[in-house]
Amino acid sequence: MAPLHLLVVCGMLAVAGAAHAQSATPGGMPPPPGMSLAESAAMRFPQPVRVGDLLGREVLRPVESQDVLGRVRLVVRDKNGQIMVVIDFSGFLGFGTRPIAVPVDATVLLGQDMEIVAFTPKQLQQFPTFSSSGTTDVPDDTIIKVGLAKPSH
Amino acid sequence: MKSPFRPDLAPGATVLDDHKPLIRSLERRGLIRGGLSLGALVMLTGCDITRPEAVESALLAISRFNDRVQALLFDPNKLAPTYPASMILRPPKFNAYYEVVDVKPVNGATWRLEVSGLVADKRAWTLPDLQALPQTSMVIKHICVEGWSYIGGWTGVPLRLFLERVGADLRAKYVAFKTADNYPSSIDMASALHPQTLLALQYGGEPLANPFGYPMRLRTAVKLGYKNPKWVTAIEVTNKYPGGYWESLGFPWFAGI
Amino acid sequence: MHWVNAVVMLIMITSGWGIYDDDVIIRGFHFSSFWRLGDWAAWSLNWHFAGMWFLAINGLMYLLYGFASGRFREKLLPIRPTEVVQTVIDTLHFKIAHEDITVYNAVQKLLYIIVILAGISQVITGIAIWKPVQFSGLVSLLGGFQSARLLHFAGMAVIVGFLIVHVALALLVPKTLWAIIAGGPHLRPRSGAKEGHAA
Repeated sequence: MAPLHLLVVCGMLAVAGAAHAQSATPGGMPPPPGMSLAESAAMRFPQPVRVGDLLGREVLRPVESQDVLGRVRLVVRDKNGQIMVVIDFSGFLGFGTRPIAVPVDATVLLGQDMEIVAFTPKQLQQFPTFSSSGTTDVPDDTIIKVGLAKPSH
Repeated sequence: MKSPFRPDLAPGATVLDDHKPLIRSLERRGLIRGGLSLGALVMLTGCDITRPEAVESALLAISRFNDRVQALLFDPNKLAPTYPASMILRPPKFNAYYEVVDVKPVNGATWRLEVSGLVADKRAWTLPDLQALPQTSMVIKHICVEGWSYIGGWTGVPLRLFLERVGADLRAKYVAFKTADNYPSSIDMASALHPQTLLALQYGGEPLANPFGYPMRLRTAVKLGYKNPKWVTAIEVTNKYPGGYWESLGFPWFAGI
Repeated sequence: MHWVNAVVMLIMITSGWGIYDDDVIIRGFHFSSFWRLGDWAAWSLNWHFAGMWFLAINGLMYLLYGFASGRFREKLLPIRPTEVVQTVIDTLHFKIAHEDITVYNAVQKLLYIIVILAGISQVITGIAIWKPVQFSGLVSLLGGFQSARLLHFAGMAVIVGFLIVHVALALLVPKTLWAIIAGGPHLRPRSGAKEGHAA
């Protein structure tokens, strides 16, 4: 009986493990080497979007499993006037997140969500924790332009 | 479709188009092998795995049967639910069979809508011609075969009105579309005549943006997203099955919701 | 009939997993290609829309037979809560061998009722997802299109949970395996019952 029991448990773990493994091939279209973020964003037919409509959006990894990287906390201009999207990054089920600022040109709109196409999760983990000094919040009713991408498979 | 090869600059849509038959035949072989990866299941069903074409043909035959069932289930008087304009997603979600960087914008000033097939008037239409026709607006749910959905608002000419204007034979079976991005598509006449089927010129009260089909796309509330071609350049009324881009790759044709 | 049902259910579940992957409902969770029927979305859909007919016909015959022959009433009712608790305790102590495998204990009765209800729910939520405009009233009842999708996924999870327990228990009580293949012991007629089946 015991070996059979073990077989069933192993089988269940195998299913769980195989099912949870991340997609092999990351999707999205990272900027070609040598191209600036701004240039690559311009190629994605940036569309006007209201800043207030971005707050709270889930930010996804451009892969089939649509891993959640975090949520949009706010949108700011840094001291150079560049627009940055501040994301409550990483953590588990919303706990243990830290805010990081990602240039808007590294992101795309994907329906009711956003995606980060220019940085891998590993690279994002190296981003410094966001500090608001030197930045100004962009008001909710401001219209900014953000590029697009098709869903990842 | 997954591919480990991701060129820095994706091939343009026209290049893909030239090689489409070859690509499709390669895909079909890969798909068949992949489709039977659950080996134990196949053995249980007693299918002859040395002849996977037979399995594929059987599935497609059932898919065509389902098209007939769907046509019977289609109620031409049933309206899709509508929503308040405040729920319109701006901008809408982009999708195509290629990446957004390969969208080829259409010049609205030189754009013409060709009309052919079982119609009385085969003159081409300009954008101002279409804009002069009566328009109607609807805020409906876009549902993609992939499973996602969003609420969008489109304004345009009811296709029924357009077909009547060009003297189309409304007893014909199909209305077929050609597009600037080589995405042929077609729908059944019953769905074409549905009041919530539009030749859409606007989204959210503004002209369609380039990635979303400018200057004109089909928008029908009674079909899945892939039956709504963008950047439409030609309409044909016909009794000969026109098929479509995704249908050639195995997707169902009727795709009614 | 049991084996047709098993195969069709597996087809629906694994092709459903393929469809799920096209736009995951639980972000971060997807089924790797080994577990999917249909290499990509088009073929998962075709399998799913083919299998659904066999599932519906087979399921309907099973329900009609079960009700008309009184088999359901006899084998699945009544269920007393104290019986359920006692049976769970017995099962955890591996005291699950049956003398008469055609009589279901309380846990078995509960699980079979649950899986039958889950199967019916899958048909209802499946129809809602398939035709959200033609059956928009049904979709509203289910809380909207995305809600119907989620319910369809949840129903699958219940059925897969049942299958894991079902297969595990069958393997642990080998008597049942032979019954599933050969049709089970023949009962002496018992107030209208026909030949017995193990499952």
